[in-house]
This record gives sequence, structure tokens and C-alpha cells, in this order.
Amino acid sequence: MMFLKRWISMVVLLLLTMFIAVGCSEKQQTSGQTGKQSGENKKVVIGAALPDFDDKWLSYLQDGMKEYAKTQPDVEVIYVDAMNDANKQLSQVENFVQQKVDAIVLIPVDTVSAPEMVDKANQANIPIVVVNRIFDGVDKATAYVGSESIKAGVMQMEEVAKILGGKGNIAIMNGQMGQEAQIKRTEGNKEVIKKYPNMKVVLEGTAEWDRAKGMSLMENWLNSGKKIDAVVSNNDEMAIGAIMALEAAGKLNDVVVAGVDATPDALEYVKSGKLKVTVYQNAKGQGQGGLETAIKAAKGEKVEKFNWIPYELVTKDNVEEYIKKWQ
Amino acid sequence: MSSQVSIVNKQKKSKSAVSSKERVSRILHKYGMLMILIGLIILMSFLSPTFLTTGNLLNIVRQMSVVGIVAIGVTIVIITTGIDLSSGSVIALVSVVAASFAHPDTYPFFVPILIGLGLGLLTGVINGTIISKAKIAPFIVTLGMMTAARGAALLFSDGRPIGNLSDSFKFIGQGAVFGIPVPIIIFAFVGVISYILLNKTKFGKYVYAIGGNEHAAIIAGVNVDKYKVFVYGYAGLLSGLAGIVLTSRISSGQPTAGVMYELDAIAAAVIGGTSLAGGIGTIGGTIVGALIIGVMNNGLDLLNVSPYWQQILKGVIITVAVFIDSRKNRKS
Repeated sequence: MMFLKRWISMVVLLLLTMFIAVGCSEKQQTSGQTGKQSGENKKVVIGAALPDFDDKWLSYLQDGMKEYAKTQPDVEVIYVDAMNDANKQLSQVENFVQQKVDAIVLIPVDTVSAPEMVDKANQANIPIVVVNRIFDGVDKATAYVGSESIKAGVMQMEEVAKILGGKGNIAIMNGQMGQEAQIKRTEGNKEVIKKYPNMKVVLEGTAEWDRAKGMSLMENWLNSGKKIDAVVSNNDEMAIGAIMALEAAGKLNDVVVAGVDATPDALEYVKSGKLKVTVYQNAKGQGQGGLETAIKAAKGEKVEKFNWIPYELVTKDNVEEYIKKWQ
Repeated sequence: MSSQVSIVNKQKKSKSAVSSKERVSRILHKYGMLMILIGLIILMSFLSPTFLTTGNLLNIVRQMSVVGIVAIGVTIVIITTGIDLSSGSVIALVSVVAASFAHPDTYPFFVPILIGLGLGLLTGVINGTIISKAKIAPFIVTLGMMTAARGAALLFSDGRPIGNLSDSFKFIGQGAVFGIPVPIIIFAFVGVISYILLNKTKFGKYVYAIGGNEHAAIIAGVNVDKYKVFVYGYAGLLSGLAGIVLTSRISSGQPTAGVMYELDAIAAAVIGGTSLAGGIGTIGGTIVGALIIGVMNNGLDLLNVSPYWQQILKGVIITVAVFIDSRKNRKS
């Protein structure tokens, strides 16, 4: 594994160096041209450090940034992918500092390594806006844009408790262990469960945010012989996996399934009544809000420290409204 | 199990009379991992009353079918002293491409299957050709394919899952014939075909010959380059097949599917007695290896072991199993 990792990071490093070399020469070109036309009309360059281009939800967030960037003719955004490696993200932020971008939008890979990245930007006097993932010391950044993960867990579990009438056996399906969203959403779930004496967690496992793994985990749980009244999942993909396993076993009618994210796929399951609850985290809103705040900060305008993008509960009653959002 | 092993055993037989002690060690040698699997199954049956039911056992094999199919291809690659790291990413690429041809009322169900298999085969042939013609280490070539295929999968799907698949296509992953899930039937079929390929054909003999001593194989007149392209092509084809089964099972083409599957497949092969130094390995062993991983995953879920402990236990069990196996090899 170490060996493999080292190779991957070497290859990525090589690509990154090439990328930066190309990026630098391009930038020099554009600034030369604008210099001829007018000195004032300089492009605002924003560096956006994203943890994982492969992640579906984050791709919607990136869409939000891209859409907003299109409406801003004087803004150029450079997107980089850390491939879920905090170390790689740190060097990417350092590269942004070297490039002297006008502001940085950071979605941290994890919440432990993020403060150091904020420090790097602060030392270079470059505004840095943290988006989506909150951590201790985030107030050192120029601004934070996002939602509070724990509230998603609370909102999701409260709705499930309502459906179950405040009693029943709960199975919690975790995302990748140790990630902020997994820890906080599950914490939110358990906070609510504690309030109901007749509700308890009978099973808990991880399916690493993945549909196929969620399906396998649910199949195994169904074979455990334990009575399950609700499956509360950290995200929608795993919840859909659980639904498919329950359907195949003919037990979907006995079990309430809840997810988080309200992805387009998940909304179809809500519409058909198979997924009872999901929570909408406004991906595009966070992306747009993050970039908007960064541009303001780059231009020296005053920005709010904390910008909360609220969660919204999605059930069969209001699902149509959310289906429209993705279209 | 392998021709290598049987040759070794035959040599021993001619040297000395067969003592009962030797007979025991030979049985251990041949079926050591199978015994560990049976031991695990017995242990789990005591710990969880619902473990040893037909439903659950079918469930375990079905869950391991995808990784098992990949592992069979990887085993043959490893026997030639190669490695294939691209399997997981090829699964994802095949997954999104096949899914986009599997919407209801567009193409008949065999179109996405053939396209998926063809695409898998293509990636494997590319791997094999670069490895044999450009003489670049398999590790590097397949690492490149791993990155490129994942990128291609994301590019093709715009990073999003592709849903809305036809019922006939979904049958491959979700259907059952006479109560046996289709993925298990496909897995068994691949096992039988690969066993025949490896043990009853010239191809199989050459695979072991290349792994045993590539230089000697060249001198003996084996067209090593050609057979390497076959071997990687076959592994790619099986990754493609695994991608189709996975896509059908979860009713959606996922660009993020199959992450780390290549490592599970390599683990299954190595647990099953395949030597990373080449020349040694069997299809039966790899299937047992895959089932050991499957039984662990399932048993730990049934027992509701905390996700943190599950990872530690899996690591320990894999290492201990291979350790016991290697001790046994040294003794005999």
C-alpha cells in the first residue's frame, strides 16, 4: 500500500508540476494582453482547492461555482483536485500562494489538516474562504460558507422518529469512518435517539458512501435475524443500496429508510415512496456562495465571517420542488 | 491443485516411500486454505445462529462474485509474475459505458454486455501490448491504466451515476435461475472455463512456464509476448464482465464503482496460495481466497462488530491466513 501510494503521489506530482508550468505561462500571457488594452481591467484569479472531483455531491457544488463564474466576466477560477489526500491539498494551497492568486476557495479534505492551509494563506495575505467542511479554528479564515453536518443528522432522525412514533430498532449506516460528515451526521442521529427511551441502535456499520457496499451491508443485516424498523444512512447512495436489498428480500414495507443529500437519483426514490426521508444540502448554493464570498474578499470588500446555507427536509410531500432544482 | 504442486509431489513420491506423516502434510499442502475457510465457517456458525443458513451462504457467494471474477483474471496475471492494478477502474469505465446502452427500449440487452466485454478486453489488450512490446513493468502500465480508466469513466459520465436500466439487463445482477442468483452462476462459469484454460490447454502450460522462468520459456520457443497480451486481455475481459454484473446488481452505472476492488482481488489470489513471485497459483485456491474474504465481511456484519474493529480484524485474519499457508509450504 505504501509503495502504491508513493507511486501514485509521484505521478500526480509530475502531472501537477506540468499543470502549474502550463498555468503560469498562460497567466503571463493573459496579463500581458490585458496590460495592452487597459491597466485597470485585470482579471481576478481565484484558486479553488477541491478534495475529490470524483465525488458526486461535490461535482454539483463545483457546478454551482462554474455557473456563478460564468456570470462574472472578469473572474478566472483555477480548480484543483486533491484526490482525498490532505498532504496533496496542502501543496496545492501552497502552489496557489506561490502563484499569487487573488483569493482561495478551500473545501478541506479533512478537518485536521485544514488549519495549516488557512495559516499558509494568511501568512501570504491572501483571502481564504472555507466551504462545506467546518473545523475548530475556522474563524481564522476570511469566511466560512456551509451547513452544519450535525443538523442534517438531527433533522433526518427527527423525521424518522416521527414516522416510527418515537419507538423502534434503528440501524445506522455510516459513511467512510473518520470523515467529518460521517462523525457529525451519526452524532446528530444519536442525539435524537437518546431523547426517545423506546428507540435504540441495534446495528451499526460502514458502507463507505457506496451503493454496492450499502446493498451488501443491508443483505448481511437482514441475515442477522435482528428486527430492524429503520435504516438511517449517512448518505443517499448507501440508502438506495439498502432499499434495493430490502426490496429483493420483500421487506421494504416493514422498514423506513432515510438518507442525506437529496441527489437526483434519491429524489426518484422519494417520489416512488421507497426512500421516506432525505435531507437537502444545497450543493450549488454552497459552491456559488463560496465563490461569491471569495470574489468579494479578493476585491477588498467586507464579507460576513459565517455564511450558513440551511438544510432542507425532503419527503414525498415536497419532493417535486427539489426534482426541479436539478433540472 | 496446480500442476506445479503435483509435479513436486510426484518427485517426492519417487524419492521415498509414502509415509503417513507425509500424506498428512500433502493433504495440508493441498487443502490448507480450504480448511481455514471451513474453520472460519464453523467459528462463525457458533458465534451467529443465522450465519449457517442457505440464504446467507448464497448471499456471501453472490456478494463475492464481482471481486471473485476479477480475482480469477488477476490470478492468471500474477502466475506470469505480472500484476493488474487497473481492474477496479476498468469496472467503473465499463459500468458507465454499458449503462448508457442499457436504457429500456433502446438496444437489446446483449448490446451493453458485448460493448462492456469488448471495452474490458480492449483495456487488457492495451495493458498487455505495452507490457510486452515496450518492456515496461506491469505495475507501472496497469497503474497508468488504473488512473486513465477512472478518468475516462468520470469524463464519460460527467461524474454522475447513470440510471434507468432495462429489466432484462438488470436480470444479470438481480435475477435467479432455480433459486441460484445469476451472479453466482456467472462466477461458477468463469471459474470452470478458467480452470480448463489453465489446466487443460497449451495456453495454461505456457502461463505457468512464463511464470516459472520467462527466459527458459523464450528459449523453449514460447511466444511470450503473444501470451502476455492474451493473459492481460483475459484479465481485462473478466474486469469488464465484473463491471457488467456490478452495474446490473446496483441498477446504475457508477463512475466511482470498484474503488480498491483490485486490491481485494489480489488479496483473494494471494490468500488462495498464488505466489507473487510467479509460477504458482490455482483457480480453486483463488475462489477459496475470495470466499474467506466474503465470510469475514459477512460474519463481522452479522455480529455487529464496530466498523473500526472490522478493518483491524480483516487485516489480521488475512495476514495470519497467509502466514499459516507459508509455514505449511516451508515444512513440506
